[in-house]
Amino acid sequence: MDLTAPAIAIRDLNKFYGTFHALCGLSLTVRKGERVVVCGPSGSGKSTMIRCINQLEEHDSGEIRVFGTLLDDNLASIDAVRREVGMVFQHFNLFPHMTVLENCTLAPILVRKTPRAVAEALALKFLEKVRILDQASKFPGQLSGGQQQRVAIARALCMQPEILLFDEPTSALDPEMIAEVLDVMVTLANEGMTMICVTHEMGFARKVADRVIFMDKGEIVEEAAPAAFFEAPRNERTRLFLSEVLAH
Amino acid sequence: MPMPAAPLWRSRTTRSLLLQGGFALALLAAIVAATLTARANLSAQGMTSGFDFLWTSTGWEMNFTLLPAAPTDPYWWFLLLGLLNTLLMGLIGLGGASVIGLIVGLMRSGRNPAARFLATLYIELFRNLPLILQLFFWYALANALPNPRAALDLGPALLSSRGIYLPGLAVPYGAAIVIAAILLLGLALAIRVLAARRFARMEPVPRRVLALSLVLLAILASAAIALATHPPGTGWLSLPQPRGLRIDGGIRVQPEFACLAIAIMTYGGAYVGEIVRGGFKAVGRGQLEAARALGLSPWQVFSRVRLPLAFRAMLPILINQYVWLIKATTLGIAVGFSDFFMVIASSITHSGQTLELIGILMGGFLVVNFSLAAVLNRLNRAIALKGHNTGGAA
Repeated sequence: MDLTAPAIAIRDLNKFYGTFHALCGLSLTVRKGERVVVCGPSGSGKSTMIRCINQLEEHDSGEIRVFGTLLDDNLASIDAVRREVGMVFQHFNLFPHMTVLENCTLAPILVRKTPRAVAEALALKFLEKVRILDQASKFPGQLSGGQQQRVAIARALCMQPEILLFDEPTSALDPEMIAEVLDVMVTLANEGMTMICVTHEMGFARKVADRVIFMDKGEIVEEAAPAAFFEAPRNERTRLFLSEVLAH
Repeated sequence: MPMPAAPLWRSRTTRSLLLQGGFALALLAAIVAATLTARANLSAQGMTSGFDFLWTSTGWEMNFTLLPAAPTDPYWWFLLLGLLNTLLMGLIGLGGASVIGLIVGLMRSGRNPAARFLATLYIELFRNLPLILQLFFWYALANALPNPRAALDLGPALLSSRGIYLPGLAVPYGAAIVIAAILLLGLALAIRVLAARRFARMEPVPRRVLALSLVLLAILASAAIALATHPPGTGWLSLPQPRGLRIDGGIRVQPEFACLAIAIMTYGGAYVGEIVRGGFKAVGRGQLEAARALGLSPWQVFSRVRLPLAFRAMLPILINQYVWLIKATTLGIAVGFSDFFMVIASSITHSGQTLELIGILMGGFLVVNFSLAAVLNRLNRAIALKGHNTGGAA
């Protein structure tokens, strides 16, 4: 891990599902501390792209480097990257058989070999940060969706990652819970966390993104700073998408 | 609009009480009537009813007992030994079926096509043939083995038509039973420590140390007992040796026992395998992805997330299967294994106390299966996932 290298450097990435070409020669570089929002119609390859970064999906060709570490067949480099890259999922994916606290301490104890007491102190700190400290001894099934997603963010933070990936973190939430999750994400963004968020929350993108990326059919169609992206989209497909997302 | 208080015959509570009371009374009347009729008929045939026969000696022998038994021993002792045999067969049968089931189920849910094919073949073969047929097959196979003089030599073990001879520890039988009990207890306590939520706050390493020291303690205690009871001047291992028409030394596993155990394990294993596969299928992909994304190794993903969640999905169905398998041990009578059912059947033939013995048989199996189900149901409740809101993450 070379923290002076670009946080993420993707070059000419291709991914196929059978004959379906999900990612078509995609390239993207993300600097440390940069906040990137990725949007696009469903099936455009957004999730596939960020899932390639921590190798939940294996890419077919092209090159992905995370802080200089090349993701190839070497399992050790995949492990090293996963330690530094946290992920928050659409459906939270908490471990339902563990308490909130155990969800947060599992990976630090097993992967980082942190002593339990230290891991618990750290977990409590992050649970407080996502404003859910009072639920630490509850089980995920006893929490609301918004609370579960905040726990999922705390769980990812407990590994003290350099990069956080968000895969549609608010899409499965009831409207009244979206704000509480976005608030936490805004706080993280303002603290300088390197983030890639796949989301359709355009207000969030406007507020915190350094760059907004629009994907369609496995390609990056347009990328720009939020002001330019929303005020003066250059590509026809972007304009169509934005008119549909922003219409209501 | 205020309603006047309902008259007694219109009250819901009164009606439900009357209905329940009437049902209970009818049931009681039926049981009393049946008992009185049976008594009257039995005494008309000059047969005495009651449980006094339990204290008379049996006059016959059991071919397999865990504790010493002689024809002069009373019926209650034989029945107890029969029940012990059933419990031993249940322990070995369920344990073996679980291990086979876990392996076969994992093979079937894995990615290796060869392993999947083998496991499917196994399950289809053993699940689709009647259990009694399989039992007869194994028994025929056992009878076709050579006599002790020409016993098959499998390294330290010998295989003959008189049974399987395994190497054993050269200690008296009583000491061996105590050692086995201590080792089982140590292992059970260690598993309890590793699994219990009460110890969950301990560091994983001290928890493992505690569990390991429990096992070590059990091994040390066993070694001390072995040292104290071992006849001096002989070897520590008692190896089976062919001697003329018989085989001396070692532990003899009689063919009836071995065949029933193998039949229960392999047949049960096929069913458990399907339950295991279903359990693993029920685990959400999302949880596994989250575990992998956090950097957990494949083994950690399996042992901390996949297996615990799959086990919770399997347990309710497994309880059914286990209770079923315990009842299936009664097939032992077909090959002459002295389980509880066979001892009851022999007792009926010799004492004529049919109703009493059938009552004891039913009571015995009820107690065994009810206890098994009660313990497993408690475990099921203890580990059940708390709350209902899993947010679509299934």
